[in-house]
Amino acid sequence: MRRLLDRLLFATCGATALLVCALLIGVVFVIAQRGAPAMSWTFLTEQIRQVGAQGGIFFNLVGTVILITTALVVCTPVAIGLALLERVYVRSERWRRSLGVFLYTLNGLPSIVFGIFGFIVFVKWLGWGKSWLSGGILLGMMILPTVTVALIERMKALPSRYVQAAAALGLKQSQIIWSVILPQTRSGLLTGSLLGMARAAGETAPIMFTATIFAGATQPHGVKESPVLSLPYHIFILAQDSFDPAVGAKLWGAALVLLALVLLLSGIALPGRLKMHEEANV
Amino acid sequence: MSDPLPSSSKCGPQPATKPVLEVRDLAVHANGKPLLCHARFDVHAGQVFGIIGPSGAGKSTLLRALNRLTDLIPGLRVTGDVRLRGEPIYAPGADVDALRARIGMLFQQPVVFPASVAENVLFGARHLRRLSRSEKHELVESALREAALWDEVRDRLCASALTLSVGQQQRLCLARTLAVQPEVILMDEPTSALDPKSTQAIEELILRLKERHTIVLVTHNIAQARRVTDWLACVCIRDGAGEIVESACCDSVLGNPQCREVIEYLSHSA
Amino acid sequence: MTRFWSIAFSAFAVAFFALLLGIFVVQSIPAWQHSGMGYVTGSRWFFRTHQFGALPMIYGTIVVSGVALLLAAPVGLASAIFTAEYLPRKARLAVKVLIELLAGIPSVIYGLLGILLLRNWIYDLFARFDISSGDTLLTAAVLLAVMILPTVVTLSDDALRGVPGAQRHAARSLGLTRAETICTVSLRQSARGLVSALLLGLGRAIGETIAVFLVVGRQDNNLPERWLSLRPLLESGQTLTTKLGGAEANIAYGDPLHWAAMMGLGLLLLAIVIVTTIGGVWKKVGHDA
Repeated sequence: MRRLLDRLLFATCGATALLVCALLIGVVFVIAQRGAPAMSWTFLTEQIRQVGAQGGIFFNLVGTVILITTALVVCTPVAIGLALLERVYVRSERWRRSLGVFLYTLNGLPSIVFGIFGFIVFVKWLGWGKSWLSGGILLGMMILPTVTVALIERMKALPSRYVQAAAALGLKQSQIIWSVILPQTRSGLLTGSLLGMARAAGETAPIMFTATIFAGATQPHGVKESPVLSLPYHIFILAQDSFDPAVGAKLWGAALVLLALVLLLSGIALPGRLKMHEEANV
Repeated sequence: MSDPLPSSSKCGPQPATKPVLEVRDLAVHANGKPLLCHARFDVHAGQVFGIIGPSGAGKSTLLRALNRLTDLIPGLRVTGDVRLRGEPIYAPGADVDALRARIGMLFQQPVVFPASVAENVLFGARHLRRLSRSEKHELVESALREAALWDEVRDRLCASALTLSVGQQQRLCLARTLAVQPEVILMDEPTSALDPKSTQAIEELILRLKERHTIVLVTHNIAQARRVTDWLACVCIRDGAGEIVESACCDSVLGNPQCREVIEYLSHSA
Repeated sequence: MTRFWSIAFSAFAVAFFALLLGIFVVQSIPAWQHSGMGYVTGSRWFFRTHQFGALPMIYGTIVVSGVALLLAAPVGLASAIFTAEYLPRKARLAVKVLIELLAGIPSVIYGLLGILLLRNWIYDLFARFDISSGDTLLTAAVLLAVMILPTVVTLSDDALRGVPGAQRHAARSLGLTRAETICTVSLRQSARGLVSALLLGLGRAIGETIAVFLVVGRQDNNLPERWLSLRPLLESGQTLTTKLGGAEANIAYGDPLHWAAMMGLGLLLLAIVIVTTIGGVWKKVGHDA
């Protein structure tokens, strides 16, 4: 009887795990299958025509790349600042924990809230209209926890003897940071950045009121009234009126490109991710 | 290589009764590298069988192979034959969980569960068969008495086991094992984490327990081996893997060691 | 200098967050003044007549997220038990990484699959109940369940791995089977971490906008008469996030009261998400400590 329960638990849990993997792989598979027909060099290098029924997604890709790059530039100094605060400057455990809670909370905030916040501050108060910079700043703050946590984890894993050796040589705190800590934890920043960019690439809600439009934009010029096209918003709009069959294939194609971009960025971060797991779990 | 089952001048040979545990050609490999080889010995009922040797020689591994705890450690592969009262424990299809109830284990660091004292004692026994409330009370009391812990905890059976001292926790672990009524109890350096007073208490317990249980004890404390064990096997490293280099009755190994490695080990530990 | 800039940048992050919260609080005040508690308990939302009852949307959010968690919790937990207790180290890392990769799939893609696949399946499955379309609360719930699965699995797996191996070995040495050890040792000792995993998954479900937007139907004022009826699951609805993400946000800006009402929705959403997230993190932090 006990053996029966033992086998039953194993079978149930194993089957469920298999189901979960199959489900998630199935998602990727369906997108790949339906998006493949639309894939071609012209698709990637031309711009939209006829409301998505013709042409390609070139400027959508460009727009997304601009947004995630800006996000990274905005986010990096803040992430480094927070990480250094948590690891180096703050001594009390209570404050550290509060910082952790702050990061987790920020990470859990709904994306639409960022969108509305951006709408008020950038579009209305600052009068920028729709601007790529607003999108970049909002996305940067959204991915801040991802990048910061990756950096902090890497800093935690840094053997203390490096810092101690530097201190023993008489280096000041800021010198230790710049010559030991930051260079050695570059990989954590890289991993976090890749993961953050992957996340930012797929976000729609923060940018739909503040930074992106469906058609009519190419490259941004200046800051005000300078929207960009983007992949996720493109998919979002087309998905709601998906009755035109000519649009259909291109819609799946755009989805495939977005998915490929996200998986590519996450994939490059993979070795770093594996290392983080190894160090965390030993 | 010396004969692992000699009789010696100072004490008689092993009893003629059938041994409780027979180990033949036991070897353990970790990811291809051998940790332990050619282990061969018998353990008889009512005996305290000691295993001594330098650290890293493979004593704990040998012990864990006896109750198949090695199955749970990734990368380990065990070959050879171990028989409990004649039945091979490594036979395919053997009921490993039932085996582990018959061969209990005490660890170096006392591992108490985050539950009450009574719940800890009953932790294993509950699953063996359904117990009524009164049976549970009786079992808790008898196990704790056998482990010489009853008087100290009788008033706080419902308190968390984590509030006990380390010495008490180890005795609690022993009571927990005894509640399952094992035939053999394996002990992996059970007193090395304890203070002298608790150590003495456990040693006295071992001497009392050996009437009804068979005990295999790994220890790095030679004086302890002298006090408590009847028969000793010494595990040393030869050619990169652990081997039992000498096995004889306690007085013989400690008083008149035959093997070079054993002499070296004893002189270092004296 | 470094210290100064670190503190400055960190202060920027905190200020950003404070401003965000502050804006929602301040700009929603007129709505609270206008409707009082009726804002939360009112079941009618007609912005043209300045009737602002958020209850249908609160209901929608709770139902959609709650059902999603109900679906994802057992599946996620069982999977995590498998990866944490049964898989060898390398296989476990591989599965974990795979699941985390897939956790990064953008919500708009889930929404797309929801529209083009899930919606039809639900419609076909429940057609005999006389439903009008596949855009229902249930559709959104199922979609969300799949979306939060990776989160639940990863965090539960971490919680289970946090239980020391010595505890498991001690239980097995007493003769307990693997299943008994999992139930009496692993699950019991990681309970706090598991609850945290579920809460954080729930928080993610509550805050999701785009995927839900595409499949929930966005029908206002669809509050059922009886609280525990299952019928609303098969009907279209509206959640706090989908209301905020809709076109109404653009229209509302001209009318201060309407805008305040929208901001009030945002504030409610923030409050629910923050409470859930902090609840989840407290458990996790207390667990790790």
